[in-house]
Amino acid sequence: MLLTSIELNNFMCYSGMDNRFDFTEGINVIIGDNGYGKSKLYDGFYWVMYDKCFDTSIKTFSYTSKLKKAIISDKAIFDIEEGKITASVILTFHNPEKRDVVILERRYSIKKDGDKIIEDEKSEEIVSKKDLEFMNARIEKDPYEIERIKRYILPDNVKPYMWFQGEQVESIIDFNKSETLTDAINVLSNISKFDNIIKIADELEASSEKEYDKKRRDLSKDTNKSEQLSIDKEKLEKKIKELEKEEMQLRDSSSTAEEKADSKLNKLEEAQTIRRLDQRRKDLEKRLGEVQAEFDKEQINLHKKLFTNRWVLKGTEALFGEYNQKYEKYISSKLQKKALANAKFEATNELRKKLQTRLPLDVPEPIHINRMLEEEKCLVCDREAPKGSEAWLKIKELLYTTEDDNSKIEEEVKTNFDFESEFKKLYQNGLGLGHIIKNIDNDIQNTFLRKEEIESKRRTILEEFEKIEKELRSLTAQSAMTSTEAFDILNGYTVLNEQVKRFATQIANQTHLINNKKKELDQINKDLSSLVVGEIPKYLEEKRTVLNEFYQVAHSTRKRVFQKLVKMLEEEANKHYQNMIQRNLSARGIIKLKELTNGKNYMPELVDENGNVLHQLNTGNIILIKLATIMAIISARKASRDTDLYTLITDAPMSVFGDDYTLGFCKTVSQVYKQSIIMSKEFYRNETLRRELLENEEIRLGKVYMITPTIPETDRTNRKSLATNIKALN
Amino acid sequence: MNSEEILRAFLTDDLIIEKGHLKKEEAENYKWFSHSNNKLIEVIKMAIEGETSSESPNVTEKKINKLLNQQ
Repeated sequence: MLLTSIELNNFMCYSGMDNRFDFTEGINVIIGDNGYGKSKLYDGFYWVMYDKCFDTSIKTFSYTSKLKKAIISDKAIFDIEEGKITASVILTFHNPEKRDVVILERRYSIKKDGDKIIEDEKSEEIVSKKDLEFMNARIEKDPYEIERIKRYILPDNVKPYMWFQGEQVESIIDFNKSETLTDAINVLSNISKFDNIIKIADELEASSEKEYDKKRRDLSKDTNKSEQLSIDKEKLEKKIKELEKEEMQLRDSSSTAEEKADSKLNKLEEAQTIRRLDQRRKDLEKRLGEVQAEFDKEQINLHKKLFTNRWVLKGTEALFGEYNQKYEKYISSKLQKKALANAKFEATNELRKKLQTRLPLDVPEPIHINRMLEEEKCLVCDREAPKGSEAWLKIKELLYTTEDDNSKIEEEVKTNFDFESEFKKLYQNGLGLGHIIKNIDNDIQNTFLRKEEIESKRRTILEEFEKIEKELRSLTAQSAMTSTEAFDILNGYTVLNEQVKRFATQIANQTHLINNKKKELDQINKDLSSLVVGEIPKYLEEKRTVLNEFYQVAHSTRKRVFQKLVKMLEEEANKHYQNMIQRNLSARGIIKLKELTNGKNYMPELVDENGNVLHQLNTGNIILIKLATIMAIISARKASRDTDLYTLITDAPMSVFGDDYTLGFCKTVSQVYKQSIIMSKEFYRNETLRRELLENEEIRLGKVYMITPTIPETDRTNRKSLATNIKALN
Repeated sequence: MNSEEILRAFLTDDLIIEKGHLKKEEAENYKWFSHSNNKLIEVIKMAIEGETSSESPNVTEKKINKLLNQQ
């Protein structure tokens, strides 16, 4: 059925009663930036069908009974003082062949009385039908019929492939759920018919075998033995079934492990690079720490060396010379002074000798001289010598000795502060340091060279460190994988590979066991036949053969048809993939649907022209592959009643893969789906792209609308006047 | 796939050719209403017919058994 319109009345940001979008066949596009009401429009479709809307606070779909007044436009609630406010969404479907019309409506009301708001518990669903488009609609009351109509519009098993939001694409074909693609093929292809025929073939084969055995027992020459053999056979068959079931479980587990390993393999190269870079980063960090410590030490030493290596003396060579001169002058002046004093001393002594005529030196002794001076009388000649007289002064002269003269002379030579020894030390030190000063320049130069060397090493390491940091940041952003996750992937991959190997051994053992049991079964059948006396009816022999062959043909045909379907899907998927990537020159690869170990599940992967798997896929690539695969499943059934009946409704499916793919995606969607409704921000932001959408003849275009809010996103704190403008662009 | 296409998918199986029920060209061009005395082909047709007409599997099995029980 074609979805011809949606009307939104006071529903969320669609305030008022005139919000209507009409749709036609082809791709219908609703253009709007983030926060402009695209997702609320998607909610509108979803709400009518499932009584649920996306609850952004808990990131899941919630029932009206939980959302309540959040369903109703804030503006509508604010605008009315008192009374009932109702939000409603109406979807109109039209079947052009039968010319009948189905109208689905959902309503939700609240009552407002000033500040008080009374919320209804539930929403109301109204389904009306027009048997012919021009007739009046009649409301359908029968709940079973309502359910039937809704399932007719969109069956539950088809819904995930027809109605989805951008972020749900990942989970539609989940690489970690091995049966997802197979399930999709089952739902959207008629392989289930072959599955049903297999069930009939299995039943018939088992019952004919039983019938045949019974006949063999009836015709047995040894009934007891035949009975026992039949019991053994039954047990053996049961055992074989159990073993086969176990084998299948092992194969399933192996497939899951293989598939998980494959999905990790996709990121393995990136993970390895991240790990390598991370390790290098850590090494460099350590090295940088060491070099920094070395540098710091050198810096401290540089200051110390001013004193330890006597750098502080640099430039003092002249001072040393000057000091030496002064010292020499000082010493020479001192020696000269001393020589003069000595000469004076000698001369005084000489003079004294001459003057000393009557008495020898120190005669009389000073004690007697002092007595004579006191008594003012010469005790030698016994004459009076009054104080101050010539005789008294002569006596007094005798008190002056040579020592006194020497002391006087020494006193003359001596100065008050004698620094000779210190000056000498300084002189001697100066001689030693003078030798060191010559080497200071070399020492400073070597030290600075060493410092420069360390600095250069530090810079090089730092540059490499920053380069690796940048590379790591870009890689982790591109792969959406942290260093820890990269480690987990590598470890996980190793573990999964080991699991696959272990499963392979277990499967081989199990197969061997089953084959042995089958041989035992063959022997029992032979034994049973050998006991038969007479002839088994021909029709029974024939029936057994026919049904056994039917059983084999049914199984091998199903497998063949499924493989053919997979091959066809692969071709279709590649057609769509190539269409979508045609405007992006860097995109490459061919989609391959890889069969897993259990022989029943398939996973999409991207290979190059030589069949080598391409592992460096980003999220955009992966989603394109998934979308191409989904489209292949749909287009493989193109023109069949099923897929033409349903409308693709998707919110922001292109948000993850960039502008280059947008038109390719629209073109492909318009060719694959009879009708689609796409919500997109890409055409809002890129005007050229929008023009191309409206003019590109390869795109089977339906209606195009632009939606804008009445209040800019920045002023959205007060939503009481928020409404949405709808403008048709074609 | 319609009934005839499903039938052809079965009849082009290697086992049908190997056991000599049909030649390859015969299988590829087989029509739904082609006359055949081959019981395997008849059984396959009955199973397909039952499936496409949403018949209960029990009923289909009974019909097939009846066909094969004819002496």
